[in-house]
Amino acid sequence: MHAINRERTRWFLRNILPHEQALRNWLARRQPLGLEADDIIQETYAIFADLETVAEIRFPRAYLFQVARSVITKHVRRARVVSIRTMDDLTELDPRDDYPSPERIAIDRDELRRLAEAIASMPDRTQEAFVLRRVDGLSQREISARMAISENTVEKHIARGLRFLADWFGHGGNALAEASRVRDSENMSLDERARIQSVH
Amino acid sequence: MSERESSRCIEATAADWIARLDRGPLSHEESQVLEAWLSGDARRRGALLRADALSLLSESGQALGPDFDAAQFARAASPAPQTPVSRRKVLAWTGAGGLAAASLAVLVVSVRPAAAITTGLGEVRLVTLDDGSTVILNTQSSMRVRYSDTIRRIELLYGEAYFTVVPDGQRPFVVDLAGQPLRAARGTFRVRKLDDKPVDVLVDQGAVSLGEAGTPRAVVMPAQTRVTLPAQGPVPAPQPVSAELLSRALAWREGRIAFEGEQLGEAAAEFARYSKTRIEIRDPALAREPITGLFAASDPAGFSRAVASALDAQAEQQGNTVILTRRKAQP
Repeated sequence: MHAINRERTRWFLRNILPHEQALRNWLARRQPLGLEADDIIQETYAIFADLETVAEIRFPRAYLFQVARSVITKHVRRARVVSIRTMDDLTELDPRDDYPSPERIAIDRDELRRLAEAIASMPDRTQEAFVLRRVDGLSQREISARMAISENTVEKHIARGLRFLADWFGHGGNALAEASRVRDSENMSLDERARIQSVH
Repeated sequence: MSERESSRCIEATAADWIARLDRGPLSHEESQVLEAWLSGDARRRGALLRADALSLLSESGQALGPDFDAAQFARAASPAPQTPVSRRKVLAWTGAGGLAAASLAVLVVSVRPAAAITTGLGEVRLVTLDDGSTVILNTQSSMRVRYSDTIRRIELLYGEAYFTVVPDGQRPFVVDLAGQPLRAARGTFRVRKLDDKPVDVLVDQGAVSLGEAGTPRAVVMPAQTRVTLPAQGPVPAPQPVSAELLSRALAWREGRIAFEGEQLGEAAAEFARYSKTRIEIRDPALAREPITGLFAASDPAGFSRAVASALDAQAEQQGNTVILTRRKAQP
């Protein structure tokens, strides 16, 4: 099965994901009417998932913007009412951006801090499960035993944790993190529901 | 739902799959389900790649070490309410950023019997019910929850709501609509009850039954169908709707309004449901111009500016009114 190609993911994590914020900033400045940044980003990333090979991409950042631009253009042609702003210059891309810079090297530590913050923003039980999985390195099965909840519930906590992560890296955690405390009770019902199900 | 599924929804499903893969290898059936999912909307493959990359990134969490204490990284500003009452918190709903408008105002209420839940102008609220079913209430809507040991009854007093019903073998889920009860065992559906308009039911997933159960007049609505209830008389046959129409009709759940060829006048009226700002169109021909696009419900001024620039009109804000006129120089 080729749904997931870990090599591609690794390349993507190293070469594309670090530029997501820049891409978001660029999209926000243009804000093509009727198109949402997240839609464009997903569609852009899909192209990276579908590429036969990434070996020839010498300037990943420039290529990323170029793909995003083509995605926007495709939508612009389809829509009947489009903001004029969509049409204006789609930025001169400077391939020099792709050379490693001192900032780029600093990102790793920064990312670790962001990861810690994203984990901190998770609801309690989700946080517990996520820390056991990612910081302590337990398997989902071991977590299930440790937390006395079903494996299905562990999986749900991990999924929810990943959503917090996705949100944190995409939007600075503004949407979900604020809601995390609010969702504690929902979180509780997740455990309880699973327990009820296992009785049946 | 293919084309217009929300990116947020895709992101959530992608996270579910990555968590599933993190648990262990997929069964043959699961692989097929995943492949089928991926062969749909292209954005799904992008979302899965991103979720996988973030999951991979989080493996570096081991570097945080065994003494990692998440509390040290919590944002100082974020309050930690302890009591159920203070959990009742409506999140900031800012449309100015457009993109930020996608955030749904979330409120979890521990529902007491017969408590009416009402949303204000421009507010969208997620309510989790005792059994895990959820209701998303749109702007200016009100409902009453009457759960008992034998029935899960909801009364939609007015407005618009999107229900996600979880199965409960013991208690049917019933929404009371002017004389016609709506029953669901499981599924997701939207009910709209606006002033002077017939009640409108749209089934997204699963199925619902309209009318007295067990009578020949009861009508079953399968997924992706719509019924507009007449003031009286039998329930008409459900009309199939496209996935695109469905997701446009449900865009409000994410704080957006979607149009596909609606007249500008209708679009302006739709915005009026969400905001104090009124859009006034001073030219009848302009009011008939078709509009297509996805907009932040909370930003009628931004919508007006965008429309003005696309239709070569002029948008002028005067207090709580945005006035749209044709440019005078144009023939």
